[in-house]
Amino acid sequence: MRKKIYGLLSLILVVSAILAGCSGSNGGNENESVNGSSGNGGGDGEKVKLTAIITKHALTKPLGEMEWLQQVEDAAGVDIEWQEITADWGQKKGTMLASGDVPDLFVGPNVITDADFAQFQGLFQDLSELVEQAPNVQQMFSEKPETKAIATQRDGRIFGLPKYQAFWPDTVNRQYINQQWLDNLGLSTPTTWDELYDVLVAFKEQDANGNGDSSDEIPMDWPGGIGGYFNPAVLLGSMGITLASDVSGQGYFVEDGQVKNFLTDERYKEMVIFLNKLYKAGLINPEVFTHDYTKFQSVARGEGDTAKVGFTWGWVASDRFGEQLAPQYASLPPLKAPNYSGPLSWSYDYYSLNFGINHIVMSAKTKNKEAAMRFINELYSPKVGIQVLFGSIGPNIKDNGDGTYAVLPPQDAKMDPGTWKWTSTWADNGAFYISDSTQLTLGKDMQEVLTHSEPLKDALSQVNPETDVYPAMFIKYETADNNTMSLNNTNVMNLANASFAKWVTKGGVENEWDAYVNESKKAGLNQNLEIMQKYYDEYKSTN
Amino acid sequence: MVRHRLSSGEIVFRAVLIALCALIFLAVAYPLYFIVIASVSDSTMVSTGKVLLFPKGTSFFGYNEIFRDERIWTGYRNTMFYTIAGTLVNLLFTLPAAYVLSRKEFKARRFIMFAFVFTMFFNGGLIPTYLLMKDLHLTNTFWVFIIPFCVNVFYLIIARTFFESSLPPELYEAAAMDGCSHFVYFVKVALPLSKALISVVGLYYLVGHWNDFFTALIYIRDNELKPLQIILRDILLSNQVFAGGAGTGGAAGGYAQKYADQIKYGVIIVSTLPILVLYPFLQKYFEKGVMIGSVKG
Amino acid sequence: MRSGSVFSTLKRDYQLWIMVLPAIAIIFIFSYIPMYGVQLAFRDYDFSKGLTGGEWQGLHYFKQFIDSYLFADLMRNTFFISFATIVIGFPAPIVLALILNQIRRKKAKQLMQTTVYLPHFISVIVLVGMLNVLLSPETGIVGHLMKSAGLGHINLLASTNTFIPTYVLSDIWQHCGWNSIIYLAALSTVDPQLYDSAKMDGASRWQTIRYIDFPALVPTIIILFILSMGNILSTGFEKIFLMQNALNLPVSEVIATYVYKIGIVSNQFSMASAIGLFNTVINFIFLFGMNAISRRVSNTSLF
Repeated sequence: MRKKIYGLLSLILVVSAILAGCSGSNGGNENESVNGSSGNGGGDGEKVKLTAIITKHALTKPLGEMEWLQQVEDAAGVDIEWQEITADWGQKKGTMLASGDVPDLFVGPNVITDADFAQFQGLFQDLSELVEQAPNVQQMFSEKPETKAIATQRDGRIFGLPKYQAFWPDTVNRQYINQQWLDNLGLSTPTTWDELYDVLVAFKEQDANGNGDSSDEIPMDWPGGIGGYFNPAVLLGSMGITLASDVSGQGYFVEDGQVKNFLTDERYKEMVIFLNKLYKAGLINPEVFTHDYTKFQSVARGEGDTAKVGFTWGWVASDRFGEQLAPQYASLPPLKAPNYSGPLSWSYDYYSLNFGINHIVMSAKTKNKEAAMRFINELYSPKVGIQVLFGSIGPNIKDNGDGTYAVLPPQDAKMDPGTWKWTSTWADNGAFYISDSTQLTLGKDMQEVLTHSEPLKDALSQVNPETDVYPAMFIKYETADNNTMSLNNTNVMNLANASFAKWVTKGGVENEWDAYVNESKKAGLNQNLEIMQKYYDEYKSTN
Repeated sequence: MVRHRLSSGEIVFRAVLIALCALIFLAVAYPLYFIVIASVSDSTMVSTGKVLLFPKGTSFFGYNEIFRDERIWTGYRNTMFYTIAGTLVNLLFTLPAAYVLSRKEFKARRFIMFAFVFTMFFNGGLIPTYLLMKDLHLTNTFWVFIIPFCVNVFYLIIARTFFESSLPPELYEAAAMDGCSHFVYFVKVALPLSKALISVVGLYYLVGHWNDFFTALIYIRDNELKPLQIILRDILLSNQVFAGGAGTGGAAGGYAQKYADQIKYGVIIVSTLPILVLYPFLQKYFEKGVMIGSVKG
Repeated sequence: MRSGSVFSTLKRDYQLWIMVLPAIAIIFIFSYIPMYGVQLAFRDYDFSKGLTGGEWQGLHYFKQFIDSYLFADLMRNTFFISFATIVIGFPAPIVLALILNQIRRKKAKQLMQTTVYLPHFISVIVLVGMLNVLLSPETGIVGHLMKSAGLGHINLLASTNTFIPTYVLSDIWQHCGWNSIIYLAALSTVDPQLYDSAKMDGASRWQTIRYIDFPALVPTIIILFILSMGNILSTGFEKIFLMQNALNLPVSEVIATYVYKIGIVSNQFSMASAIGLFNTVINFIFLFGMNAISRRVSNTSLF
């Protein structure tokens, strides 16, 4: 036994000796790399070394394998050491910024927020003084003045550059009904809430999918909660409310120059009553508030040719129902609510879909800012832009040689175009500018999105972005206001989510409404409305 | 063993014991089995409840995806190293301290214990700790896995309690009579008598290192230094990203969705198998009487 | 004279000091040096002036938390969840260890032990994903079992009444086996002679458990119980967060999830530190109290 102990002790000694050895060599490496990055090459052939962080989608392949990126770095005369982050960025970011231990460049959707710029004064480079070295960025600013407005802080400085991707539709949400079920049961397409109710009842009571089981149909489904994507809140459009997804997740919208919140609006109450009526009749998936996103998606994919879900919302049919079932579904225009005769509306997301805030940011500590700016300039060239978004010319994009381009289908026939795009390149997470004049034939997936948006066109064309949409992207809050709003929103949403779920499943909204509206005020809803109104008025007066 | 004369009490006892064990076993084993079959089944069928007893729509896509990621192998190698070296250093720092704090004649022990326990509750927060690590040049080195958190106060307390309750005070007195110092007593008597303890605390530390992703998340940037868990967490979380993300730019759709769950469950198996192999080796130290027997034998 | 006695104890105990010093050094450097960061709870966070350079705000951030709209709900939910976890979750591994210790057949015992400790390795994300699948009232196996037991359609994740039991039971399921290891180790130190003599005296196995096994666990139980009282306001974050949905929100919003939600938009370091410190102080008071009681009653204590 004594031997064993000595054996253990000597093992420990050996291991610690090895560890000590390792540390020596490691320290050496560190010094080397510091020396390496301090050498500045400029345009004289030797490449400038930069460091950068990108928050990319996890499916995205390593940056080293992207042809276009290599070309861009070469053209700019830089060699970038990328740190690729796919998860937990929020958690990493806090310590990284607070310790000042930052790389030269950050890339990603809102990778550093306006609130971060306000909080970490001096950490980030004001790009407004460098933009003149970047003609491509200047071109974006002049062709799309919105991009400049999005980038500019209250004091006129610019810390993060936005992206613009030109081709995306005006709304996130499309409304789907199973056309084949309607045909099977000899029903016509619903145009009002009441007709929808009747159709859903028929879906439930009869064997709509024709598989012999009359009880496996789920007439209606959504991901759960109130606000957010693919949510019944779009039904508020039936009573003229125009949602915009960047603020409607917390209920905010604009009407007649007033910032309002639908969570305490009578029309919302009416919608809740309608949803409760559906739920009581067994027309809504009983697990609507508890299923996770995976299950929500899986259920709609049915079994083979047998669909399970009758009516729902989604980005596009092939994503929502899978390639096999997608042809069964038809996209619907907004439905009419009873007792309402005004124009119908829908969620208007043109800005959040086509623009992105703070997609590339430079650290103020960057040693060679000119080189970093050269890289940014290359990135924002229109020909590079389509490659950032869809992949390299060659494998992903076809250059027709006459100034027109076409997005190629996936090399692996089993893969869908969306996955292909996200695996090949930075995609929507990147920083780029695609001008409206770009002649690019889109892939099958995007064409489908645009086709399925057609029925919503009338509702969306009556939306005036100037007066009906809260310009969330263009408004820069003071830090104190921002903090107050986020605290209040947490409180309000806690109350709203719980109440909404309770009322839909168990009813009771009529009796509890007034108390609820009062509670919302206490939770800070009115304070937030005042803050947002203040900024909105200010924005309107300067634009 | 003696097999005769089972009293009726003994029969009832055995019946209850067997029933209880069977119940516990089923309740624990079924979900574990479920993970295994879910890791090779079609995710859509899993989440719609079609997979109950046998895998359906079998494919190994999830495992392919996991092992296609070359980082996995570096991760395994790093984790092995951090776990073994880390655990040894843990024990080296913890056990002697626990022994000292178990000695009633050591006057400073109450104060030191208090100072230690205090740190279980009060700490300066992540940012000052990060700054300290940076000043000590520990960030982005493997040392950060081994040195800074090498004394876990909770395990120290467990070890101390164990020393206190299982080493009879007379033992040291007798040894001291023979001129035995604390060093010798600790190495030659206390440690050999505490194999169960060393196994438990060692196992706790070891698994702590094995499962640790937070240290790497905050302090490590270099891909070459990343442990397995952070890589698996990346793979896992990124397959959840579709929630909400699918909408905005027509993100990865059906293709990846169909297998997201396979990856989710496969990750658990990939990360747990090595630990599963280890346990039976330690288990023998928890057998009844192993300690007293070794003293006498 | 005083210095003489200090010197003589130092001389007597120098070996003990040498053995404990490395641990003291580690704790001092990595736990006490960063502790200046606690100030952040009383200051504004101002990046340009450094961590401790922001304006002194006193108890402002504590007040903001205590006056906040959800404060009462948060305290109640947090307390209930951790209280239930302690009351039901604490004895479970003890009972399990005593049961496992009774299994005589070696193979069976090994199989049982290995099985019960495995769930500990399942990550929270997967655990919650699995709960969603298995507990689904329509399609999950637990749903099927409850239906056949005549309990009807109960969505365990969707009700304010069933959230806490589901949370606590799944926690026990996951960690009970793992936590029982420490008790099994303690049981292994029981002198086998005690069992032999008990057998001679004709003691039943109930009696050996009651009079030999259980007393052997008591010191460990007391120490672990004191420590668990120090967690009275600490619930985990990730599992609760992932298990939250609109229907159980009234009982599932706890301090940890709230801090996450308010911090998500901007880095509210000061507010988060203040809430953290508030938590810690209450936890520490509970631990301290429990320790004092235990020192009086059982002569066992942490310090």
